[in-house]
Amino acid sequence: MPSLFVIQGRDQGQRYELSEPRIPIGRTNDNVLQLHDTEVSRKHAELVRSGDAFLLRDLNSSNGTFVNGKPIKERQLATGDQIQLGRTLLLFTGVKEDATLHDSRVDIIPAADAHSSRILHSISPAEGSDLLATPADQTQSPWLAKARSSLQVMYHTAIAISHTLDIDQLLARIMDLIFEWVEADRGCIMLKDEETGALAVRVRRQRRGIRGDERIAISKTILDYVVENTEGVLTSNAGEDERWDPAQSIMRMGVREAICVPMKGRYGVVGVIYIDTSLTPQMAMEQTKKFSQEHLKLMIAIAHQAALAVEDTSYYTAMVQAERLAAVGQTIATLSHHIKNILQGVRGGSYLIELGMQDHTKALGGEEEPAGPVDVDSAKKAIATMRKGWSIVEKNQERISSLVMDMLTFSKEREPEPEPAELNEMVSDVVELAEARAKEAGVELVYRPGANIPTLMFDPEAMHRAVLNIVGNAIDACEGCATCRVTLRTSIEEAKRMAYITVEDTGIGIEKDHLERIFTVFVSKKGGRGTGLGLPVSRKILQEHGGRIRVASETGKGSTFTLEFPLVLPPAEGEHEHHHDVQMPDEALPGETYVQSEAESA
Amino acid sequence: MTTATRVLIVDPSQESREVLCALVERMGCQPITSARTAEAVELTRSSRPHLIVCDEDGDLSRDSTGLAELQRAAARTDTPVVLLGTVKFPRLAQHPGEVVAKPYHYAPLVHRIEAALANRRAAA
Repeated sequence: MPSLFVIQGRDQGQRYELSEPRIPIGRTNDNVLQLHDTEVSRKHAELVRSGDAFLLRDLNSSNGTFVNGKPIKERQLATGDQIQLGRTLLLFTGVKEDATLHDSRVDIIPAADAHSSRILHSISPAEGSDLLATPADQTQSPWLAKARSSLQVMYHTAIAISHTLDIDQLLARIMDLIFEWVEADRGCIMLKDEETGALAVRVRRQRRGIRGDERIAISKTILDYVVENTEGVLTSNAGEDERWDPAQSIMRMGVREAICVPMKGRYGVVGVIYIDTSLTPQMAMEQTKKFSQEHLKLMIAIAHQAALAVEDTSYYTAMVQAERLAAVGQTIATLSHHIKNILQGVRGGSYLIELGMQDHTKALGGEEEPAGPVDVDSAKKAIATMRKGWSIVEKNQERISSLVMDMLTFSKEREPEPEPAELNEMVSDVVELAEARAKEAGVELVYRPGANIPTLMFDPEAMHRAVLNIVGNAIDACEGCATCRVTLRTSIEEAKRMAYITVEDTGIGIEKDHLERIFTVFVSKKGGRGTGLGLPVSRKILQEHGGRIRVASETGKGSTFTLEFPLVLPPAEGEHEHHHDVQMPDEALPGETYVQSEAESA
Repeated sequence: MTTATRVLIVDPSQESREVLCALVERMGCQPITSARTAEAVELTRSSRPHLIVCDEDGDLSRDSTGLAELQRAAARTDTPVVLLGTVKFPRLAQHPGEVVAKPYHYAPLVHRIEAALANRRAAA
């Protein structure tokens, strides 16, 4: 889907999918794409789609529309174009061209056929830096030595950038590198605040021996010049440089030798790097300089690398944040929808109770106290209506309670609380609880408890929930089927030291392409009735017990869910709990869910 | 109002269908029920209801094609539709008055149903 991604501005991290044929862009909320930017006009620009092409048109905005830094009135966009509206910078991604997807001119040859290729040398990334090491003979020219040295700095800068996504850590490392290679006394890196545009110090360094409490005073004139002109400056004596007005701050503060360079990335200046050093009176007299043009060039190159890294890191963070917010939004939407349906059920039940109460009052002669002959039939009907209403309210109370329990189970990392418990008894409780629901849905519920199952160690409450969720799904799956039966079985396998609970239904079955997703949270094929939490919760509980859930299903015939977990016997009196080593089958690791497809089960 | 007035109730929840049936019966109408829009389309053709009350969750399709199809079937027989829920696709809402947002209260819904039936009778 073509999109605009906000890479700078208040809406940073937002992605807008361009699905409409015409997309007005502006500050007010009647625009399809609303930008929270005071420098954007109410009706700033519009995007018009024609086939796969997008035309950006400025709507006589106050501050103009820019594409890749150039003002435009109308322009067809290409993937990668940067659109500037006010202080907001957007990245355009167009329709994906698949011309290169099917290029078959590259073949990966199996190892056995690649007899003509052999590895001659191999080298690790760490050894790669030796390329820039100073040669042992030391006969190189001074120019070559300087160039090699500068290359080494750039190489180490690139390495530092690739090793972290933490901006402060990255800036600190860059500052260290600068101090290793440039004879600076003090330095700092300032980053631009995206909202206000003001520069704020993020890292400060000084060479050992320099007083730590000494404040770094940087001329605002220099900073403004560097940011506005995106040029690095080397200053040694402000009085000699015509760019600085002697009346301005630089003269008042006195001058050291300083280098100040912009951190210019892909989309603009993200900050500045400043270093300075003081000259001894003798050096000043002799007009000796510590910083040179070479230092300035190197600093500009380092600052550019650093700026790219800062941009990448901040956009990555913004994207992660946007994805998190999207996930939270989806969670809230799904849960709200489900809660809304439960609330609707409560209101429905309450309404029936209200109607029943009205009818009951009428049957009693219109008064609370019988005033005349009581219409017994009507009174009975009214009570039946109230009962029906109350049963609906109760059912929805159960649903909200179940939802809350599923949410809690799913949201927290917990250890099961195993205790000596009877597997058959626990499953029997589930059957008893599900019986009313099964009866209402016209489903026959059959329970075949296994013989000779000893007392086992497991968390009966959690396991009860895991089985109940699956039985509930099995009953729902039978709705509308010719044969409606759900069969539960329990068993143990001594040799494998495993316990099993099987839930088999004669329902609609699960389509093959949906089978892989049934344990994905919030994925439900039951529409408004399903939260998409039941199966993930059941799987989590089994995983917490070191077990798993296997599924075999055939469309139109039904599904079988097998819950299996390690068979752990309670410790004998005076003995510690005894855990057996459990060998899970080869097809899945312990804790994983093995989904068996229709084909495998056949 | 005569007992011949038929109201088709489309709702995936059995309890909601029960409540809506009770409500419609008290209005002197005959309820016809369906859990899904696909089945409701057939019932619209065969039973010719005077009004359709449809919960959006009765449509399991991703893009509301089931609801759209039901609306087309209703339009062919001039049957008004009261939609319960949030309309995700604006093209489905011909008149804002046709939509009752969930969770709704039943008394206003009764008024909406009565009004829709009265309009239908007036137009006939």
